[in-house]
Amino acid sequence: MSDELDRIRREMHAVLQPPGVRPDDSLQITRRTFIHRSLLFGAASVGQTFAWWPLLNTIDVAHAAEAPFKFAWISDTHLYERSLNTRFVDKVVRAVQEVQAMDPPADFLIFGGDLAQLGKIEELELGVELLKDLKIKKYYIPGEHDWYLDMGKKWGELFGQPNWTFDHKGVRFIGLDTVSRGPDYWTAKKMTPEERMGHMATLDGTVAGAWAGVGREQLDWMQKTLADWDKSKPIVIFSHNPLYEYYPPWNFWVRDWREVNDVLKPYTKVTNIHGHVHQVLYNEIGSMRSIGMLATSWPWPYAPEGVPKLTKPMIRVDPGDPFDGVGWETVSVNADDKVDVEYIMWGRKEVFVQSPEDHDKSIEEVIRPRVADNQYPWANP
Amino acid sequence: MINTSTFLCILTRSTIAGAVVAASVVIGPASANKDPVTPKQLKLYQEAFMEEVRKGDLLFHGDAAMAEQLGVKLSTTGWACAMCHPMASDTHPQAFPKFQQSMAKFATLRDMINWCIEKPNQGEKIDPESEAMKALEAYITWSNTGSVLVPGKY
Repeated sequence: MSDELDRIRREMHAVLQPPGVRPDDSLQITRRTFIHRSLLFGAASVGQTFAWWPLLNTIDVAHAAEAPFKFAWISDTHLYERSLNTRFVDKVVRAVQEVQAMDPPADFLIFGGDLAQLGKIEELELGVELLKDLKIKKYYIPGEHDWYLDMGKKWGELFGQPNWTFDHKGVRFIGLDTVSRGPDYWTAKKMTPEERMGHMATLDGTVAGAWAGVGREQLDWMQKTLADWDKSKPIVIFSHNPLYEYYPPWNFWVRDWREVNDVLKPYTKVTNIHGHVHQVLYNEIGSMRSIGMLATSWPWPYAPEGVPKLTKPMIRVDPGDPFDGVGWETVSVNADDKVDVEYIMWGRKEVFVQSPEDHDKSIEEVIRPRVADNQYPWANP
Repeated sequence: MINTSTFLCILTRSTIAGAVVAASVVIGPASANKDPVTPKQLKLYQEAFMEEVRKGDLLFHGDAAMAEQLGVKLSTTGWACAMCHPMASDTHPQAFPKFQQSMAKFATLRDMINWCIEKPNQGEKIDPESEAMKALEAYITWSNTGSVLVPGKY
């Protein structure tokens, strides 16, 4: 597995990160910016990484907007029915209250997918009920946990078209559906909808395969959507999965990242904001910036390999505190050509690692895929 | 209701388990460690180990049937071990035993497993000598095969 990942990663680096290509040249590298210039052209170990980063909880990316504004992001609430798990409900309530209390208020909310844990009607409806208290305009994209029980039927009834676009104060926003195009792993094995959902809901499962993708038809739609947009004007793209190859065994990618890059390459100010990974992530792919957001439900550990070198890792969390390592985000688009993402991590003043021991990978690990879900009756031929 | 395939599957596993027992009887505990090991023995030992890994994998991923079979209740919240530890990542079996801050004591991996069952999962602690515990331990350590031992490391 590792050899194959290495091969893909080398290819991605060669294709998407050629020397000298960076997102928007107008980016100001300042003390407030967490990207350290010296890290852009070489490898950095955990020890080297933490030493370079300034101690700040914001991400600065360059953009031009007609007027400054803020919006909020919540994702990965993974709601069970209220009777089974109240902790996840409490965390959504808290996020909603905090977003509602923003002053000045957020212009809108993006919900980045995985509202439900097992795609049940009750779970999706509970999410709608909890988010109803938030009075600002809300936009939704789906996560795989919302989709694979009824193949998006209930989600579509509640939220409509999964991909969409709108313009706001000089920025073009695009929401993508990166979850609904999974190859059919259920028909031949005669799975029930619950079994199909169960395999999809297991991050380290080996049965659902490379389900994350944008798809040709949606890529064509995106290309058409951007055709009339000035190539130097800002674009913000929301997706559940990251749009590059981070760690395919956990579907921390889209399988057609090459084609996504082909569509976006001509545009110089693209920011992708994504959920799914439940962790702080930052990467630059060609001229695109990519920012990973926290879940409200629980944090994932960093993958054992493939963490982008530009990521300043988040702090190792306390598993005894359900509010640690999770939260929501505000995104400010400023008139002075900047987009700031601020992570609101509950119970932490410091979101980022402060020492090598603060990193969950300070203990190096070699791990391997599971075996039990790929034996009888789900064994692949 | 058990269909034919399920029955065959159970039969296969029973055969493996039976073969392990038979091998230990035929070869005998007194002489087994004095004779050169045979490929057949190695295969049996490996199969016995992987059977525990399989059970542990299922428990770790919240499989209700396996939990029932082994008589354990590892969670009451829907949460399963793998939801924070995909591929048993971040379980760090290679770092135990160590001082574990969350328990404020010098702890083994089995202590940590029980802590996770009781706190985040809100399940019922299991007997440290139970098959379920050994199966979980087998899966976690197997999945971390290749990691370097660093006992005591934070």
